[in-house]
Amino acid sequence: MKAFLDMGGYAAYVWPSYALTLTVMVLNIVGARRLLKRSRKDALRRLMIGGTES
Amino acid sequence: MAWTWFHRLASPPHIYRIAGRLTPWLGWPAAVLIGGGLIGGLVLAPPDYQQGDGFRIIYVHAPSAWMSLMVYTTMAVAAAIGLIWRMKVAHAVAASCAPIGASFTFAALVTGSLWGAPMWGTYWQWDPRLTSELILLFLYLGYMGLRSAFDDVQRADRVSAVLAVVGVVNVPIIHYSVVWWNSLHQAPSVMRLGAPTMPPSMLVPLLMMLLGFTLFFGALLLVRLRGEVLSRERSASWIREALHP
Repeated sequence: MKAFLDMGGYAAYVWPSYALTLTVMVLNIVGARRLLKRSRKDALRRLMIGGTES
Repeated sequence: MAWTWFHRLASPPHIYRIAGRLTPWLGWPAAVLIGGGLIGGLVLAPPDYQQGDGFRIIYVHAPSAWMSLMVYTTMAVAAAIGLIWRMKVAHAVAASCAPIGASFTFAALVTGSLWGAPMWGTYWQWDPRLTSELILLFLYLGYMGLRSAFDDVQRADRVSAVLAVVGVVNVPIIHYSVVWWNSLHQAPSVMRLGAPTMPPSMLVPLLMMLLGFTLFFGALLLVRLRGEVLSRERSASWIREALHP
């Protein structure tokens, strides 16, 4: 396990690379979901205000 | 006749519904492939004979770099379709691509830098590959900045689309930069004519990551696209239909 974490002496380069990439992926998921949720909320508000068919 | 399916495909309610239904079919396979690729790349693949375990950065660097180019190409094609056929949905696709592409371009640059430090002895060099990839990041950021400068979505769509289409010349420059110029960066080992230059135990996890990231992009794009389509829509009847099934 220690050898695995040590990455043959490259731990300081390998692990930050993986951590950053996974962070970018998670932020993308959160960001996409948030965008959709906000658009839904805005669309509902437009329905409440307008209410008319166009 | 051929045009009916095209119009149906491009109609906002249809896009919204189909995108929602399709998302898990891309998202879950992506998760499985990326999970498998991580285990294969970090545990199962043998250390490289020159770079030892340091080469394992390839399993996050190469897919991120692939995303940076593939997403930009998708964005430029969608923007061109939006400009030529005045298709709102195509513009929505292009707008959805930008933040995804920008974030993975950033990841490609930073992981490349972290790989370069021990192997080349430097985090950064004004090298053709590195510089053109940095320009790609600026193209994405410029595209997003340009969009946010307009209140009118349709004007933002048209103006930003021109930038996206013009900027696509950078994509082949990035890809061939390591061939055309003397670069610190290695030549392609997978995306090349002829067989890849890696043994299967190293190659298979990489291919899983590349495919996994591509599907992940598909899933992200669909979720963002639903938001974009919804925010552009003014027809009350279908919003009601979409939000209250």
